[in-house]
Amino acid sequence: MALQSDIAGNATDLTSGGSASKPVKRRGTRRKALGRSLLLPGQLISLLVLVLPLLVAFYMSFTNWSPTRGPLSSAEWIGLFNYEELLVYDTRFVEAVLRTLIFGVICLSLEFLIGLGLAVLFLRRFRGKAFFFSALLTPMMVLPVVVGYTFWMLFQSNGPINQLIELVLGEGAAPAWFKSALTAQITVIVTEVWHWTPLFFLILLSGLNAVPENPVRAATILGASPRQVFWRVVLPMLLPVIVIAFVIRAMEVIKLFDEVFMLTRGGPGSSTETISLYIYKLAFNDFQLAYGAAAAFLVLIGTLVLVHLLLTPVRNQLLEARS
Amino acid sequence: MSERSLSPLLACVLAFALIITLFPIFWIVMTAIKPPTDWNAVPAIWVPSEPTLVNFQTLFDPEALGVYGVGGVSEAATASVFGSLLASIVSTGLSVGIGLAAAIAISRYSGGSRSTPLIILSGRMVPPAAMAVPFVIIFSTIGVIDTYLGLIAIYVAITLPFSTWMLKSFVDEVPKEVEEAAMIDGQTRIMAHLTVTIPLIKGGLFATTLFIFILNWSEFLFALVLSYTSIETIPVRLAKYVTATAGTLYGVQAALAVIAMIPLVIAGFLIQNHLARGMTFGAVKR
Repeated sequence: MALQSDIAGNATDLTSGGSASKPVKRRGTRRKALGRSLLLPGQLISLLVLVLPLLVAFYMSFTNWSPTRGPLSSAEWIGLFNYEELLVYDTRFVEAVLRTLIFGVICLSLEFLIGLGLAVLFLRRFRGKAFFFSALLTPMMVLPVVVGYTFWMLFQSNGPINQLIELVLGEGAAPAWFKSALTAQITVIVTEVWHWTPLFFLILLSGLNAVPENPVRAATILGASPRQVFWRVVLPMLLPVIVIAFVIRAMEVIKLFDEVFMLTRGGPGSSTETISLYIYKLAFNDFQLAYGAAAAFLVLIGTLVLVHLLLTPVRNQLLEARS
Repeated sequence: MSERSLSPLLACVLAFALIITLFPIFWIVMTAIKPPTDWNAVPAIWVPSEPTLVNFQTLFDPEALGVYGVGGVSEAATASVFGSLLASIVSTGLSVGIGLAAAIAISRYSGGSRSTPLIILSGRMVPPAAMAVPFVIIFSTIGVIDTYLGLIAIYVAITLPFSTWMLKSFVDEVPKEVEEAAMIDGQTRIMAHLTVTIPLIKGGLFATTLFIFILNWSEFLFALVLSYTSIETIPVRLAKYVTATAGTLYGVQAALAVIAMIPLVIAGFLIQNHLARGMTFGAVKR
């Protein structure tokens, strides 16, 4: 960790520097100065391009500003009005939040289960393993926009998916996917699961390959069945990796936008409208920028809390791995 | 763990997974080479009997579909291809360069605090739709809206956490002793990094560069709200085509989608062993 490597750094200074203490100290400050100046460009960019706009948006969320009302400086301060409106009266916002969470839970569960199943499969030896590995990763390399458009084509009434359904279940059995709420929601989930299961597969397989052999062997010798070994020995050791995968995916799924924009635009009605899509429509279709900013901050706070909760069981391991 | 081979049942499961995985990609590629008569045929045509490149041609010459007696697209996609290349390449270079400096600072000079990873992770939680609003306001005020400069600044900032932490995980793997050896030979710290550290993480640098390129090339929302008339990227062009024709110009749109996909699939396969590292900010090494 930071402190440790600091001590280690000073120690190497002592060994490579002279025996006098003054030069060591001077070298120490110069080291720090170099470290700081190397970090500076990145910090500046983040400050100017990320922090500054966030502050502007934060201020804006307490006003009733919209582009038609002149510059932001002349906007009227309305305190927590936007926030109150969102949480208490705006059912469309609350629904979008719940919908995004439900999508997230369903998608992540499916992605995790399928990804884990495939990863376990890849612990075995078989021919063409390298090919299958690469091929199964392909979806995560496709642009979200392209994924959305592709599945939009696949789910058309006269598209290949309905063609297969009618082949199996008979003429007229296939739904018009984008016409009703439930089927439209299914298309979003199918698309998302297709797109991101490979990430779970990849991360979980990395984790499984890194599981040390000794405890597994010991458990086997002590008479544990392969199933017991998996549930009692391997899975607990895999937990940090599982949490990392869930955190990374949760952060992305909360921002879900591109695929839905191409697939359904949030329709029919608002039945597939995610938080990001709702904020986008507020800001760029209805020009309620201040209101949209308030919604964004609520989402940000919610996400922070969620990720914090998810990370709690493995925070220490994660920091260990990082530094 | 166990290294048994696949039973027939598991082999079938694997084959099924492969078909599901590849089918959408097969479909978009097939659609891209279908002549207009096959685009919307009932029943759907899976493999065109007369494959053609006319859809690709139409992207750069909107009148090309005329030979089939159908109207083409309203605007060529040429500008968006150049726009995507420009924005992605420049911002990837900057992000990796700045990220490399930061990575060395954090790995070797203990820059940042214990909680830095979590702070940076928090930066990734801001929904882009939320950032887009202040970007539009600030960028219109200082006059960089609808310019590549503005878009590139955003791309650098949002990919910086990825490049920094991915590169840091590579720098961490270089033993400090090799740099110290160079310094004993009389090199300054910065020279030691340039001549020793960086050559040793060449592979990692390459992987990071491609990974950041993938992120920039795929970005959609910021490009959508920050481009009016003078800039454009491929995802935005694709969305515009779909909006303009209710998505029914299947072949041409599929052709653009294929063009968008090719560099990413190539880049993705080249760095497939590092994808997990990139996606998890270096937390998962392999």
